[in-house]
Amino acid sequence: MNALLLAVDVPPISNVTIWGAGPLGFNKTAAIYVFAALATMLVFVLGTRRKDALVPAGLLQNTAESGVGFVRNQIIMQTMGTDGLQYLPYLTALFFFIFFSSITEIIPFVQFPANARFGMPLVLALVTWVIYNVVGVAKQGPLHYLKNSLIPPGVPKPILILVIPIEFVSTFIVRPFSLMVRLFANMLAGHLILVTFAALSAGLWAAKVTVVIMPFSFGLLVAMTGFEILVAFLQAFIFTILTAVYIDSSMHPSH
Amino acid sequence: MRKRIHALVAVLGITFVLGLLAAPANAAETIEPAKPLSTEAAKQCFEKLAKGGDVTADDCQKAPSPLLPAKNEILWGTASFLVLLIAVWKFGVPAVKNMEKAREDRIRNDLESAEKAKAEAEAEKAQYLAQIAGAKDEAGRLIEEARQAAETVRADLVARAEQEANDIRARAQADIANQTNQAMAQLRTDVASLSIDLAGRIVERNLDSDTNRQLVDSFIDQVARSN
Amino acid sequence: MALLHLLLAQAAADPTKGLTAIGRGIVYGGAAIGPGIGIGLVVGNAITAMARQPESAGTVRTTMFLGIAFTEALALFGFVLAFIISG
Repeated sequence: MNALLLAVDVPPISNVTIWGAGPLGFNKTAAIYVFAALATMLVFVLGTRRKDALVPAGLLQNTAESGVGFVRNQIIMQTMGTDGLQYLPYLTALFFFIFFSSITEIIPFVQFPANARFGMPLVLALVTWVIYNVVGVAKQGPLHYLKNSLIPPGVPKPILILVIPIEFVSTFIVRPFSLMVRLFANMLAGHLILVTFAALSAGLWAAKVTVVIMPFSFGLLVAMTGFEILVAFLQAFIFTILTAVYIDSSMHPSH
Repeated sequence: MRKRIHALVAVLGITFVLGLLAAPANAAETIEPAKPLSTEAAKQCFEKLAKGGDVTADDCQKAPSPLLPAKNEILWGTASFLVLLIAVWKFGVPAVKNMEKAREDRIRNDLESAEKAKAEAEAEKAQYLAQIAGAKDEAGRLIEEARQAAETVRADLVARAEQEANDIRARAQADIANQTNQAMAQLRTDVASLSIDLAGRIVERNLDSDTNRQLVDSFIDQVARSN
Repeated sequence: MALLHLLLAQAAADPTKGLTAIGRGIVYGGAAIGPGIGIGLVVGNAITAMARQPESAGTVRTTMFLGIAFTEALALFGFVLAFIISG
């Protein structure tokens, strides 16, 4: 009876996120990362060919220009001000790379966000961690940087015993960790939701009686696919703007 | 349009090549849920289990954790990101900046040249207006001159015509007076001779002619004076 | 091989095995409560702010997403922790 009604075959998580390795360890995830880099470069190469076009015309030119403009106006100007314009290339590369390697989640026949694997979020978060620490040490000197990041202004002395460990953990450990986990877990969760609803739709379609409620599951699948576009963009944006915020806190400490 | 098609073809081609490269791995994973027995590690685990090692059956059934980072993926991803970072740093952002700067320059140039053209047009318009005003003045002056000339000509003509008319009238009056005088003289002569003739004829019959002529002359003078 | 299958069958019938799944569910469910309330507060107050001052909606929206990201991180820690738990 059970089998007649519903035979949902939800694959184990390791089967929808872990891919075997081809030659040189090249697998689907690696292919998506290479695609993300190539797609970004393609956007910039093709989008910046017509140098003196008065009106930005064409999808690629719009993407290249509004992408850089977005990173500059919405991310750097909102957090760091004009001092931060030197980080424009890093933040632009970060934004496009994360966005393109996440948006593959909804591209048909690929349907896997490469950031649902732990590797690259870890690397990117570490790069950001290194950058904001190096910037802090270079701008303020090692001792001032430690003092400014560990001791918040206006805290009474006795509480410092409590505050300093908390600040240390939050600045040097939780920041990169949450940056990494936020991207990774959002993408993994979105991917699992899509996989679940896809498997559920397939199961409902296969069983004869339950096919009438299949449209609900399928409709939710479509809606979640749309939502994942927003999530891919939002996670790229949040990763980038948090990087900018962290670099800003190293550049302009609050006294 | 052609460029867009080329770009699309390039993206599709790259995607296809990437798919081909990743295909073996992909295919191997999608056949069946990975049964623990099908992986190499699980086989070794089961051999250990069969020999009575310190593992349990659950350990052998465990699927690989989705949390563990894979070295190959980190390497490929880091390499891609580094290449992308360098490309964006060296070429991408400068290219966009150049493009924006070129556009800014072009817009500024266009605006400036438009401003200049407008100023030129204004100047030319003022010039034209001045010229038109000058032409109007000139025309007015010419008309006035012409009117004055016509007036002069008219006055001249009228004066000459009046003069002529006066001349003609004077001449006619002179002629008339002349004629009258002549006629008077003639008439007087004729009347005198006729009267003399008549009186002679009368007097021949009765008196001498001299006394009678004197009488007639005095009579005629009397007549002329009273006339 | 027969021994292996026997062992597998025994393992599958192990009644403690499902406890892992229950534990995972509790962990993630518990971790989602606080951030759920927190995100609600963040978004609700952001909407109030936007309704009061529509001209600053852009800044408020950016800050709102940042706040959501910070709050959401806790739920995601729970999500990851649920995977780390193994029975």
